[in-house]
Amino acid sequence: MFGLKRRPPPPTLSSFAVDMAHAMLQARATKALAKAPAAAVETATHVRRTGSNRQDAWLLHGAAALLGGSVFADSGVEHYRGDFQNRAMFLPLIVSACSIAASLHGATTRKHGSHRMRDAAYAAAGLTGIVGTGFHLYNVTKEPGGLSWLNLFYSAPIGAPAALSLSGMMGFMAERVREAPAGTEPQLLGLRTSRVLAALTGLGLFGTVGEAGLLHFRGAFHNPAMLLPVTMPPVAAALMLEAAVSPPRKRHRWSRIWLAVTAILGVGGVGFHAYGVSRAMGGWKNWRQNVVDGPPLPAPPSFAGLALGGLAALRLIERHRR
Amino acid sequence: MSEIDEGPRATGNQAPDVFKVGAWVPMRQFREDEAVDFVIVGTGAGGGTLACRLAEKGFSVVAMDAGAYYRPLEDFASDEEEQSKLYWTDQRLVDGDNPLKMGANNSGKAVGGSTVHYAMVSLRFRPEWFKARSTLGYGVDWPLDWREMWGYYAQAERALTISGPVTYPWGPKRPRYPYRPHELNAVGKVLARGCEAMGYKWSPTPLATVSAPHGESPPCVYRGFCRIGCSTNAKQSALTVWLPRALKAGAEIRDLAMVGRIETDARGLATGVHYHRNGQWRFQRAKNVVVAGYAIETPRLLLASANERFPDGLANSSGAVGRYLMTQSNQGVWGQMDDEVRWNKGPPSLAMTEHWNYEDRKDFFGGYCWMSQGPLPQEWASVQTGSRGLWGEELRREMELYNHQVGVKMVGEMLPVETNRVTLADEVDQYGLRVARVTYSWTDNDKALIAHALDQMEQNLLAGGARKTFRQEDDTNHLNGTARMGDDPRTSVVNADCRSWDIPNLWVCDGSVFPTVGGVNPSLTIQAIALRTADRIETLAKRGEL
Repeated sequence: MFGLKRRPPPPTLSSFAVDMAHAMLQARATKALAKAPAAAVETATHVRRTGSNRQDAWLLHGAAALLGGSVFADSGVEHYRGDFQNRAMFLPLIVSACSIAASLHGATTRKHGSHRMRDAAYAAAGLTGIVGTGFHLYNVTKEPGGLSWLNLFYSAPIGAPAALSLSGMMGFMAERVREAPAGTEPQLLGLRTSRVLAALTGLGLFGTVGEAGLLHFRGAFHNPAMLLPVTMPPVAAALMLEAAVSPPRKRHRWSRIWLAVTAILGVGGVGFHAYGVSRAMGGWKNWRQNVVDGPPLPAPPSFAGLALGGLAALRLIERHRR
Repeated sequence: MSEIDEGPRATGNQAPDVFKVGAWVPMRQFREDEAVDFVIVGTGAGGGTLACRLAEKGFSVVAMDAGAYYRPLEDFASDEEEQSKLYWTDQRLVDGDNPLKMGANNSGKAVGGSTVHYAMVSLRFRPEWFKARSTLGYGVDWPLDWREMWGYYAQAERALTISGPVTYPWGPKRPRYPYRPHELNAVGKVLARGCEAMGYKWSPTPLATVSAPHGESPPCVYRGFCRIGCSTNAKQSALTVWLPRALKAGAEIRDLAMVGRIETDARGLATGVHYHRNGQWRFQRAKNVVVAGYAIETPRLLLASANERFPDGLANSSGAVGRYLMTQSNQGVWGQMDDEVRWNKGPPSLAMTEHWNYEDRKDFFGGYCWMSQGPLPQEWASVQTGSRGLWGEELRREMELYNHQVGVKMVGEMLPVETNRVTLADEVDQYGLRVARVTYSWTDNDKALIAHALDQMEQNLLAGGARKTFRQEDDTNHLNGTARMGDDPRTSVVNADCRSWDIPNLWVCDGSVFPTVGGVNPSLTIQAIALRTADRIETLAKRGEL
């Protein structure tokens, strides 16, 4: 009687977020098109539909900046809590600050192509994350009990430095994408950047879920909301891994939605953690102690950073169908 | 708060809200001439738990405590002297070869009992201890089955939101503790390193203080004042867990109410209690009386309630009331580290080993555990002056090393002996009641166990990196026995349901009912027994057997 016409799905918070991100990028694209010489960019219609390398680089710089910001604030608070007993504890602060600066520069400069200093900053972030993981692992295993729950709970968090590596890798990807000739997809070690990025996002999300899971287990999941970061982002992570190996023609609408959900969770997590701080003795009136000892305010946004990286990956995949 | 100045707080249909400054919660009140289902004497681990569960099961309950009703947030100071208000320091006589030191370690005088200042160590008995005689060859068997108790332990652990290790290394499988363990402090790590060097298992201690927010309790902030009363309410005690629930379920709590005598009628049944409150003696009628005053005050009250019909005291046809008093050996070994330790930070017993509770290759009966320590300065000074005999310049120099000090203390099993007992002295206290005389002597087995433990603890500290160790050989803590449960009315005071053999509506529900004491802190077992007793009372009531 009414036919079987497909109706658009009802608007949800997550699809709204995806649409907002799209609208912002389209606005930037139109602005860029108006100013840039025609040869330097893809055809206008193509860009309008699937975006440009430049926009994706912008997204990746955003991802690198968010992850870097999360590390900067989190390691700042946590290493302050650890009294900076080892001078190396300043390193993630300096390196993440460089990663943030490189990302801001990359996102705002009009110049095409990569930049040596930005590449250096991102490489440093990638390396520092790996070295940091080694340090943290040593910190865990040197305690009595070694690699035990107790030490995983309370010694240096094993997964935290990886966020710095992820920031570096997102930035590194941004540089590769922006230096690729217009309309082409850059290659990484013979692999398509879009697929590598999708896989990296998926793995990064799984790692972050592991970290949140460990620390929320330490908190005995005393608030049901603590289950959110271990139940929702894994879907996005799995979808990203699937995207990394999916057939070229496939569309990734659900992946985008789950990435948006993950991003919202990352931002909303700060609010939940702020509530957690309020439940400690003295609440926010005693913020000097409770921000340091309570749930880490800067940790959840790393989910949002990874979600941005994932969004860039999907856009690259969909634009460069072969 | 000075209890004398202010008087009782739980009056006018309200009781203090322990979670808020100056706040109140509604409280149901009962008339004295109305025979309530249960009047409970004492509101600690036994009485508080039972009051809660009985009220939740629909019984009318009045629970009395001789101590004051404190609000931790406003009434507890970070001061050892001030907080001694939480201890039962009324006059008592002590004698025997090893007279007990009464006060901080083994008593409480506050609503919530000694759980208000307990160290929160929440351990289960080794299953074999419930059948110590049959399986291990010493003491007596309990009339309880460990498998049934395992369920009640789990229930108590859930109610107290115990923060404990993800897996507990000793004994049969148990459910995961509701909350995760606390981080070890530096002295806990010394114990752990020492145990690893000795090849012993160790564990973060299961503690009744939350490691994450729970209800109105914020997570523990590791101030380290637990044993003089937790002023943040992270501690899960009768005061913060059972009694708020009891009030919600309609129980009445009467603070500053000292019960002096249980009345019985011509049929030989209890009819209520005489109690002292607001400067006068009063009488509360009750269908059942539960005595939960712990191992000194419980037998004292039973003995003091002697009358023509029960000339040796109530529930005492076996003659066991007041007998088989068992303390636990609480010797320690102390040492120093080069690095700053700050051992007072965090709960005082963050790490522990139960190795010798589960290892039977030893030449004495019973077991013991030991735990890391963090005494506050006054307590530490009393160890230095008392056990070590330091004074003057030497004492001052030692006290300067407070932040470098480490130590471990044991909780050791002492054997039940008939002659270790509580009797009534001729002296009277401020209420005009005869004071308790506490007679205690260590057995040869106790001495062998202590000697063994001191060696082991010293090895542990040295292996953990401490030096300049010394032994504290004289301390004891928890008290149990004196109204023990059993299967035989001729040798025990109460049955497995904590119901007295002689007077069917008289019950005892606290550490007094322990036939043996085990090598772990007793509070969790007392609470598990109270939970079981409440269930049994409900069953008996349904059957019309109350």
